[in-house]
Amino acid sequence: MGYNSEKIAAMIRDDGVHKAVYTDPEIFDLEMEKVWGRAWIFVAHESQVPEAGSFYSTTLARQPVLLVREDEETINLFFNRCAHKGAKVIEQESGKSKVLRCGYHGWSYDMSGRCRHVTGGDEAYRAIGVDKSSACMSLTKVPSVANYRGFIFASLSPDAPDIKTWLGATATSIDNMVDRSPVGRLEVTGGTLRYSHDSNWKFFVENLNDMMHAMIAHQSSAQTARVMGKQLFPDDKNVPSEIQILSPFAENTDFFEEMGVHAFENGHSYSGGKTSIHAGYSGIPEYEESMLNAYGKEKVEEIFSLNRHNTVVYPSFTLKGAIQTIRVVKPISVDQTVIESWTLRLVGAPDEMLQRSILYCNLINSSGNLVGPDDHEAYHRLQHGLGSDAGDWVSMGRHIGAEEPNEEGGLSATGSSDMVFRSQFKAWKAYMTAANGAA
Amino acid sequence: MYSTPDIRELEDFLFLEARLLDEKRWDEWEALFIDDGEYWIPATRGQPDPLHHVSIMYEKSLLRAVRLKRYRHPNAMSLQPEPQSVHLVSNVLLDAFDQDTGTVTAHSKFVVLEHRRETTNTYGGSYTHVLDKAADSYRIRMKKVELVNCDGILESIQIYL
Repeated sequence: MGYNSEKIAAMIRDDGVHKAVYTDPEIFDLEMEKVWGRAWIFVAHESQVPEAGSFYSTTLARQPVLLVREDEETINLFFNRCAHKGAKVIEQESGKSKVLRCGYHGWSYDMSGRCRHVTGGDEAYRAIGVDKSSACMSLTKVPSVANYRGFIFASLSPDAPDIKTWLGATATSIDNMVDRSPVGRLEVTGGTLRYSHDSNWKFFVENLNDMMHAMIAHQSSAQTARVMGKQLFPDDKNVPSEIQILSPFAENTDFFEEMGVHAFENGHSYSGGKTSIHAGYSGIPEYEESMLNAYGKEKVEEIFSLNRHNTVVYPSFTLKGAIQTIRVVKPISVDQTVIESWTLRLVGAPDEMLQRSILYCNLINSSGNLVGPDDHEAYHRLQHGLGSDAGDWVSMGRHIGAEEPNEEGGLSATGSSDMVFRSQFKAWKAYMTAANGAA
Repeated sequence: MYSTPDIRELEDFLFLEARLLDEKRWDEWEALFIDDGEYWIPATRGQPDPLHHVSIMYEKSLLRAVRLKRYRHPNAMSLQPEPQSVHLVSNVLLDAFDQDTGTVTAHSKFVVLEHRRETTNTYGGSYTHVLDKAADSYRIRMKKVELVNCDGILESIQIYL
């Protein structure tokens, strides 16, 4: 329909959004350019390129990119496109190599992206004043790359803001996950799950801090696990992790109201804080001891007291610090999204910690899990329900005006507030209506 | 001392298991497992274990009980309408046999069609069944489902493959 800033701005009201933000392919294309082309987008964790020559191939706002470790200090992010004819240079997801060689005509690059080999010699380009050392013969770097405590973000905009300032309070969710390692280090391990959703990416990003759906949508698995847990372990002792992980999704509305939601600049948010659905997991004594030895009592209490549920670094990155899993949003089209789930090992922590994170991923994030299919189904029904003529607006007015400023410079509200969605769309509108080039 | 099992006997067992799944005879299917029996769909090729690497499913009796109760739950949103399936099992081979315990490892290939709402999904791969000899037949110690696209991008898998 030929959107301009004025039309887009009119799609976002204080208490709701126009349904086309989820359903119109033209809006999706604009989002890729203006939201996903400007925001910091999560790429990978530095542990995925552990040694010089390690590479990891992924996408950034649908574009193929290649993360490469040049040496101990330097990690480069290139567009995965040969400078010669434009083929993807590396098709393999990850590996280690001395050179990055295009399989089509053999052009080869070193880990700094400089061209090292042109098949048949670069003299053939003399007439146009080009040789191997020319920039146009090198791999092209993604304009902005930042590493926050091992988490690598990139932006297609050369004017991306300072990463820590941009992350705001959600930086402390990353800090908390890193601090949960007795040596302050995380390592991606245990594989990746890729889960396809036939729905718009924003439904997923909203749902993570939607505190009203769990006890309804996940009743069939969570309530079942809860009841079975009570029957099988009436004294609440030795409750297996499976039950501990599934049951809290069936907590009542009061519990989720109490968890609360917290929204910040740039669309970021988290839910929980003092308590969350991860707060009731039983302790692992060996782990707690290793943390005490590393940090001392006061600091350890501070680390463990932060019990956030989901943190959303809008628009691409979500994490659960307390259980060391991350989910990465990969929009494919207006109604197709892939969610990648990764597990992080707390370096220096006992094996049980990793096993619990793996179990959590299996139960909550895999394609065959017991909880996610209900979310997926909800998104599917949203995508289709919004296709009806019943109305153009999606309500986001719950508890509007009842937000309160929090100590971290954002706003907090009771769990069932729509505040997080309003905050996401405020950021969305700012990205979508900013003048070209502005970050 | 147990005698080497006949392939036809293994096929009978595997075909029955497939049929119970397709006909949603969950209690009979669950009864095929030993108490600690494992059901496992790895998420990567050659995955060494289900504890240090994510899986598409890894369930023992407790989680299977949750899932089977969920199948019958009135508010299981993603199971409305419920999926229908057909499991085809073929190429059955005897991989290992322990004469002293009677434990058998059977290898087979499968194709599963799953239909729900307007979509039919196709799954294919290999089964490994580790089977304990029971009085009249076998009980499942472990069923490993190695999907040919285990590390691909997958939609919700709500049925046992």
